[in-house]
Amino acid sequence: MSNQETVISSESLWPEDAAEDEAVITNWFVSEGSAVDRGTTLGEMQVEKVSVDIVANTQGEVDEIMIDEGGELSRGDPLARLMIE
Amino acid sequence: MSQQKAAERQLTMSRAMVSAIAHEMREDEEVFYMGEDVADYGGIFDSTDGLLDEFGRDRIMDIPISETAYVGAAVGAAMEGMRPIAELMFVDFFGVGMDQIYNFMAKNTYMSGGNVSVPMVLTAGVGGTYNDAAQHSQTLYATFSHLPGMKVVVPSTAYDAKGLMHNAIRDDDPVVYLFHKRLMGIGWLPAPEGPKTPVPKEDYALPFGEADIKRNGEDVTIVTLGLHVHHALEAASQLSDDGTEAEVVDLRTLVPLDEETVISSVKKTGNLLVVDEDYQSYGVTSEVISRVVEHDSDIVNNVDRLAIPDVPIPFARSMENEVLPDVDDIVASVRGMNL
Repeated sequence: MSNQETVISSESLWPEDAAEDEAVITNWFVSEGSAVDRGTTLGEMQVEKVSVDIVANTQGEVDEIMIDEGGELSRGDPLARLMIE
Repeated sequence: MSQQKAAERQLTMSRAMVSAIAHEMREDEEVFYMGEDVADYGGIFDSTDGLLDEFGRDRIMDIPISETAYVGAAVGAAMEGMRPIAELMFVDFFGVGMDQIYNFMAKNTYMSGGNVSVPMVLTAGVGGTYNDAAQHSQTLYATFSHLPGMKVVVPSTAYDAKGLMHNAIRDDDPVVYLFHKRLMGIGWLPAPEGPKTPVPKEDYALPFGEADIKRNGEDVTIVTLGLHVHHALEAASQLSDDGTEAEVVDLRTLVPLDEETVISSVKKTGNLLVVDEDYQSYGVTSEVISRVVEHDSDIVNNVDRLAIPDVPIPFARSMENEVLPDVDDIVASVRGMNL
């Protein structure tokens, strides 16, 4: 049985009306190794002072948090990788 | 310690507060929330983020900028059996509605000979550290604690914030719930390490009047609350490097005040430092020290206090940093003691 992985991209979460292409990670609520359900809020990022939830797009385990709290990112950057068992 | 195991989901303090409010609103139709920018904006410090979507505008209400009107409305609704939560965006604005707060919210139960209760919660963002100057940076902990009739709650972590909010809403008496902006976990006001904690999904009420020992130590007792719990823990960690073990007592509620936990800690350590982010004179520091000394002056060898030195909070970063007690001040105070 092989594990599949999925990457959560900031592109899918970006607010439609945002003019800015940069964001900052404000919080992670899970850590690497956490088991999550589809829809679990993993963390939040801030774009133009608006907080956007980072939501798990599948059930699985957090394999890698790719940008630390306080870290800046550009639109489209990957945020976290989940492993699907 | 009221922490759960590290593998659990963690929440910011704002999300923990919101989850308690949402739970109580689902359980009891009489609970509703009023304040400035609490509906569409979700609270400028995220204190009501997401509640409008679930509960709608009848129960999550943006109100006109008149503290007198909406605090008064909350008092009236509470006397009629509802359970309002009214938010002062900044605690500094309490003065506009002060008559409603200290003459009505605090005293109506007494004035009616116990015939009416005022089961409301007044929430407010407190504290400085972000250069917002003298009218948007105060904590005013002592102002509310000084006036008889109100319970006063000051959480320091997400776990405590949720449990204390459940208890505040269920309490049949008026409760003032003061949340420090720097602890909420918002992007433009980063929190220190510590306030984001694991938070159980189910409801739990933390009783008032029970301080929490956030760190055990034998050498000195540091009594504090709110943001300064985290400064005290950081200072304790530095002091530990040179062999001094500080016990950090988080008061969690100022009214009622858990004298017993403070006194038993001082009996153990023999030394007391009280750290507060309010003005020094006539405040939390003098009250805590008085209670210990009144109990038994022989149990304290060294005593010290850190608070704002009776000046308005400056705007300039360098000057604000100077007047607010910080980690270095706590370390220096303890090192100055003859332990």
